[in-house]
Amino acid sequence: MEKYDVAIIGGGSAGLAALKQLSALGKQVILFEAGNKIGSKNISGGILYSKKPKKGKTYNVEDIFENFLNDAPFERKITKYILHATSKDKVFSIDLTAAHEYEANFGCSVLMNKLNQWFSQQAGEAAQKQGGGIVSGVHVNSIRWEGERTIIQTDELEEIEVKAIIAADGVNSEVAYMTGARQKFSPSELYQGVKVVVKLPEEIINQRFSIEQDDGAAHLFAGDVTLDHIGGGFLYTNRDTLSLGAVYHFDSLLETPVEPYELVNTLLKNPMISEFVKDEVPVRSEIDKDLPKEEQMRIRFAVTKMIKNWSELRDVYYSKKEKERLVREGKYGSAEEIESQLSSLRDQMSTKYNIKFDTDYVEAEYSAKLVPDGKRCRMEKPYFKNILFVGDAAGRGIFVGPRIEGLNVGIDDGARAANAVARALDKGNFANNYLGEYYSQSVEESPYTHDLKAIDKDYLKIFLDAAKDVPKDIISSKYGLVVKMMSSNTLRSFAVGFANILGYEKLLPIIETVDTYVKVPTELAERLGKSISTSYTPTIPSIGQRVAKLNFNDDSVSHIKVLKPTSEFMKNMVTLCPTKCYIMEKEGVMIQHEGCVECGTCSEQTDWKHPRGEKGINYQYG
Amino acid sequence: MDPINTAVIVKLEPDFSEGNVSYNPDGTLNRAETKNILGPHSAIATAAAFYAKVKYGAKISIGTMGPPMAESMLQQAQLISDADDLYLYSDRIFAGADTLATAEVLKSGVQKMGKMDIVFSGHRASDGETGQTGPQTAWKLGMTFLGHVIEYEINLENRTVRAKRLVRMQGIYDIVEEIEAPLPVFIAIDPSYKSKFNTVSQRLDYERYQKEAFERAKNFKQYLKVFNAVQIEADPKLIGISGSPTIVYKVERIPKGKATRQAEVIDGANQEDIRKVVARLRQSLSTMVIK
Ligand SMILES: Cc1cc2nc3c(=O)[nH]c(=O)nc-3n(C[C@H](O)[C@H](O)[C@H](O)COP(=O)(O)OP(=O)(O)OC[C@H]3O[C@@H](n4cnc5c(N)ncnc54)[C@H](O)[C@@H]3O)c2cc1C
Ligand code: SF4
Repeated sequence: MEKYDVAIIGGGSAGLAALKQLSALGKQVILFEAGNKIGSKNISGGILYSKKPKKGKTYNVEDIFENFLNDAPFERKITKYILHATSKDKVFSIDLTAAHEYEANFGCSVLMNKLNQWFSQQAGEAAQKQGGGIVSGVHVNSIRWEGERTIIQTDELEEIEVKAIIAADGVNSEVAYMTGARQKFSPSELYQGVKVVVKLPEEIINQRFSIEQDDGAAHLFAGDVTLDHIGGGFLYTNRDTLSLGAVYHFDSLLETPVEPYELVNTLLKNPMISEFVKDEVPVRSEIDKDLPKEEQMRIRFAVTKMIKNWSELRDVYYSKKEKERLVREGKYGSAEEIESQLSSLRDQMSTKYNIKFDTDYVEAEYSAKLVPDGKRCRMEKPYFKNILFVGDAAGRGIFVGPRIEGLNVGIDDGARAANAVARALDKGNFANNYLGEYYSQSVEESPYTHDLKAIDKDYLKIFLDAAKDVPKDIISSKYGLVVKMMSSNTLRSFAVGFANILGYEKLLPIIETVDTYVKVPTELAERLGKSISTSYTPTIPSIGQRVAKLNFNDDSVSHIKVLKPTSEFMKNMVTLCPTKCYIMEKEGVMIQHEGCVECGTCSEQTDWKHPRGEKGINYQYG
Repeated sequence: MDPINTAVIVKLEPDFSEGNVSYNPDGTLNRAETKNILGPHSAIATAAAFYAKVKYGAKISIGTMGPPMAESMLQQAQLISDADDLYLYSDRIFAGADTLATAEVLKSGVQKMGKMDIVFSGHRASDGETGQTGPQTAWKLGMTFLGHVIEYEINLENRTVRAKRLVRMQGIYDIVEEIEAPLPVFIAIDPSYKSKFNTVSQRLDYERYQKEAFERAKNFKQYLKVFNAVQIEADPKLIGISGSPTIVYKVERIPKGKATRQAEVIDGANQEDIRKVVARLRQSLSTMVIK
């Protein structure tokens, strides 16, 4: 049996950070990732923050990956952060840039496929130097202990023996379930996130969102777009795409089930968002059915090719950097040449093939995943024997205000776990009290854990300041007193202090309610909002079309087994599975696993595993 | 233990993939217009050699007979296999060679590479379809020939190879024959071959060699040796036109075949019909040998 010092299970951002840090400390580490390529299984919103804590230290992305700021393919640095309260066509906006900048060095929009691949290059290189590395397309299926030995079994490779394990296998952590390190998260501890990536050329984004070339904007949505659920919508600008998503409390969805994609569709239909995503879209004309079959085929190919060329050239035209690059490389004589070629291509499209140009939007990818609500479900002791849990696997997602933070938390955890394991390797001591407890304490000291446990009165003040012009009567009597109290500096300190003693989690039912996410914003929009109109109705793809666009490597066997086909929970899955994998039959629900995006929504009452190595969903954006 | 030396003989072929082929008005291939690439079967043979590199640390030399432009194909092959040496046998007098004359060049070329333990070739070429070059080269080299190989393992100590071959027996396909032979051997790789790397260390080596391959292929000329007929000491009588006994008389387009299978339509609407189907299936199955 082959032996390695450490194994990391899961190659998301948390696992890759752990790999980089441990390798930098000179240790030999193997990372197993189930996806066929790193990044193919990971999705996020996402804004990746670098934290500047008032107290304590965090391991930020740029600490672990030193050339992150110069070299990493992140999208844009977010400089505008605006919350919109919606009611029908009315929108009331509050600038929350101060909340975004709070305790942050920066926050940048990211797409996980690209970013995790970059992380993996950096971490993989460091690991190789120590005799370790990344092994993708391999799914870990069990871990066992034989005396002092820890043995890992995978679906694809021969067993290996290791001294310690870092479990970075995400919110649906099989390592946690198979070892019994923690229970599956319950619906009250989870959010369901659903996202679409929308294409839009770079400079159109700059103009439309009034931002500079490398800057970005984040727009958050609450009010009637939530369809009465606790949660909200987000729209982040990437370099030449937008990430538009909906994140809702799973409990709230179970209470009044609605198709996850309907929540995204509702966002798309909001006039403000329709206007944000709109673009010029070529529309094919019908091919004459009387033409010979081969001719029809030829035309179809030619049109596809032409549209592809046009849209690629258009992307270049709307990107200053790309334009400059291609001119510099001599592909085009000048920027004008690109423009004239683009317009002649467009002419050809309409004259030769009768292609029309319409206003619509272009969706590139649909995705979904659960997110753990760390306030409620973080592992108090994130270890089991010689296994340390990090990131989503340890349930460490932060939801405070509209900010979602999981990426940065996982990176911090990954670094801490790496340090703890390195220390244990040096001493050859992997006992609970030397490895697990040490890591647990380190995590406890992390400023992120503090954020998960207590309200920060300075952060709170930002929201109160931002909302100071909001008529007090909108905020119902329940909040009236609280708001009054919070508005005074001394009373706020006192109240927050008292609340923190009482326990943050006890306050959550008061803070996270339909009032805060739906009623107050809706009323705000109705009374104070500006009416926004849009000139078109977006053509929203059906869920079937969305799934058809995704890239799957189908497995013949299902990775999910339904255990309670007639339970209420499972019946709700018919509505709540983001890709409609469940159908109702006479004898209960049935799953059709092709099309499953491995979000974990149905995990609680199923025998749930990730697919075997290389199988399942392959996200292109993430 | 001596390291394993492997050679792969590969072929430049027209790219038959979608949109890359060009035909003359008479239906023959327009070779000038069609892009040339490493043939798909050659690519599989190259990948099979890479398996020996990852698993046994084998040294890989790749050789081809072709025009000077074939060097970019050798680059492709290096990218797949992290080859240590590339050989291009290029000479005007090689022109017009049939499979036998080609085999003569390849034999001389392989001998020029040094002493080989395994020589790999593809199953056949996609533009020639004869599948003769491999066996003929093996014969000329005096090596044991193993065709249709889908899997192989080397025993470094005993210097033997164990291979699984996909063979056809009594008209039945998909029979796997397992054989053992002492090195050196000549292996023609079956199109269904796929390397399997079962241990972590193999996966890591795979990654490492792939990276090295990427770097090497960037500077592939550093690894390239171009030889003419004299340099590989090929017998002038046995190469080119003069070494080619084959005369291609005419190439015809393949006529559409008549269907030879006979189908009987059974509705399946009632029990009786279903019984008939089952009976027919039984009957057919009884004539097959199933392992
Ligand atoms: C819609 C949405 C919006 C979000 N917005 C933000 C945001 O704006 N900012 C932010 O910071 N965070 C955000 N998050 C949260 C953030 O994306 C996650 O916290 C983060 O991606 C988790 O990273 P991870 O490495 O812990 O897990 P993952 O990225 O889930 O990685 C786990 C990996 O483990 C692999 N794996 C699992 N099981 C096995 C096994 N048995 N064997 C081998 N491999 C295995 C998986 O294939 C996967 O690649 C958002 C999440 C969602 C869904
Ligand atoms: S089947 Fe389950 S895990 Fe798969 S997409 Fe549906 S809810 Fe998510």
